[in-house]
Amino acid sequence: MGWLLIVPMLLWLAAFVVLPTLILAIYSFCERDELGQVVYHFSSENYRRIFIDEEGKFGTTYVTVFARSIFYAGLTTMICLVAGYPVAWFIGRAPENRRHLLLTLVMIPFWTSFLIRTYAWITILSTNGLLNGFLQYTRIISEPFEMLYTPGAVVLGLVYSYLPFLILPVYGSVEKLDNALVEAAFDLGAGPVRAFQHVILPLTQPGIVAGILLVFIPAVGMFAITQLMGGGTDPTIGEVIQNQFMSARDWPFGAALGMTLVILFASVFWLASRRRSNFRV
Amino acid sequence: MKAPHLSTALATVFALTLLPIRELKAKAVLNLFCWSEYVPQAVINGFTEETGIKINQENYASNEEMLSKLLAGGTRYDLIQPSEYTIEALIKAGKLEPLNLDNIPNIKNLDPKFTKLAHDPTGKFCVTWMAGTVGIVVNTEKIKESITGYKDVFSGKYRRRIVVLNDAREIVSWALNTLGLPINEVTPQALGRAKPLIAEWLPQVKVYDSDSPKTALLNGDVDLGIVWSGEAAILWKRNKKFTYVLPAEGAHQFIDSLAIPQGAPNKVNAEKFINYILKPEVSVKISDAFPYTNPNAEAVRLLKPEQRDNPASYPPGEPKLELFKDIGKAAREVDKLVTDLKARGGR
Repeated sequence: MGWLLIVPMLLWLAAFVVLPTLILAIYSFCERDELGQVVYHFSSENYRRIFIDEEGKFGTTYVTVFARSIFYAGLTTMICLVAGYPVAWFIGRAPENRRHLLLTLVMIPFWTSFLIRTYAWITILSTNGLLNGFLQYTRIISEPFEMLYTPGAVVLGLVYSYLPFLILPVYGSVEKLDNALVEAAFDLGAGPVRAFQHVILPLTQPGIVAGILLVFIPAVGMFAITQLMGGGTDPTIGEVIQNQFMSARDWPFGAALGMTLVILFASVFWLASRRRSNFRV
Repeated sequence: MKAPHLSTALATVFALTLLPIRELKAKAVLNLFCWSEYVPQAVINGFTEETGIKINQENYASNEEMLSKLLAGGTRYDLIQPSEYTIEALIKAGKLEPLNLDNIPNIKNLDPKFTKLAHDPTGKFCVTWMAGTVGIVVNTEKIKESITGYKDVFSGKYRRRIVVLNDAREIVSWALNTLGLPINEVTPQALGRAKPLIAEWLPQVKVYDSDSPKTALLNGDVDLGIVWSGEAAILWKRNKKFTYVLPAEGAHQFIDSLAIPQGAPNKVNAEKFINYILKPEVSVKISDAFPYTNPNAEAVRLLKPEQRDNPASYPPGEPKLELFKDIGKAAREVDKLVTDLKARGGR
């Protein structure tokens, strides 16, 4: 009777993951009318628009948008990993009574809406903003320099928002790590680098993988931060999709872009898991 | 620090989740779906104080966004605030409730110039909220050359120093005006001619913002903007270095109105709100916060002289202004053209 316990979860998945994805899939083959309502005229026109340009050749416009989003998300994930891993390690190895305090500190930003925190960054980074003002006041620079509405600002905003999502799962792995194994590595003559590479890294790998997924996947689809801190030029896929559902009122095209993203993720997952099962001894 | 007990944590989460349910108890409400930066909080509070009706406010940044949420259903709105061409389309599609003008006696305060306009010739479906234009704001401290129209803004000299509205219909109309084409005849030929021009313009833009384009100008991130006149009027009020220019090629005048969508659950409350905002002293509060062109003749009389002299709110002379008409199916092509060009990116 144990399987009964997972029924609520299965129902939840069916209602809020499978069903919406099906609706999305159907919409992606439809058309819109002049008021922006979905009309059930089926064609593959929306997918054609993503990959084929007006002259009938392979279109780079939306492929570039996908590539740009993956680049931003990938860079964000790498920075989060490099910056977050040591923090997670530090917290996980801290005396037990201090860990909760440190973890609370990591979570405190969540008490404020991320939109408000993003607006705070706008105030800090704008040309007449706090940072430029401070640097000019202290004579470090003479002219304000451009920070907001640049790719750098976008990545900063993403790293700032997603860093805790990497720290928390890695912390979970670090906390469970048996110190005796690390000590054994040292006793057997491994230096810090080898001990890290052959003992610590493999043992914290589940946390790292979870953290990478928790950062990378939402970062690819993020639209609010990229729009607010990037200015809306050079849009990411999240921005384009959000625009289709809102101002451009083209739900079918938005659905087609969304489905493309889903298929992209699904195939990467499939390839990754196949490779792992092939090469595992 | 000790971790809180699991049961305490669960109880807290539960209590917090249930808190809003108290709010659900029946109370007179009005579900207002309006533009961001358009309905001052003082007016909302004043209405609730006077009538006891609580206002649930939700905002949008473009007519198209409003339409997509309204037509998607699921949410029942009592009062919406569309522009002229959107009203026209909604009337055509039978999506608006006719107003009971007996509940809105204060409509007499409106300047006749702003009643029974082309988009609602019988005046049965909407009441003008504010009018305005879309024009160019120049930070004259940073830009010494004279700017008279779209051609100057997008001359190529001000690359990445420009903020524009994130609004496909607007952007296309600027291009059509520049080409000397009528802005309401959006044919495939006209769009074909506009496309290369827009493709040349968009990479020069630094920020797209329909909600609050004044922010990027105030923060010094851009020196030029094509924005709503109310935003320009606020900038001018803050600092006289921000001047407002109506483009020589021609500009869009918009008329935003209050209307009641079909099936609104609280229609009478919506009419009460319309009547309330038509009171001269209330209308003045709207002008104080969002200095667009006030259509309420009685309210304009109560404005301070410096408000009436604000060139962005009440443009002097006889500028070339045009209203948008509903363009039907072509709206799809307009959205598509701008989406595809914007996706190309700038840098």
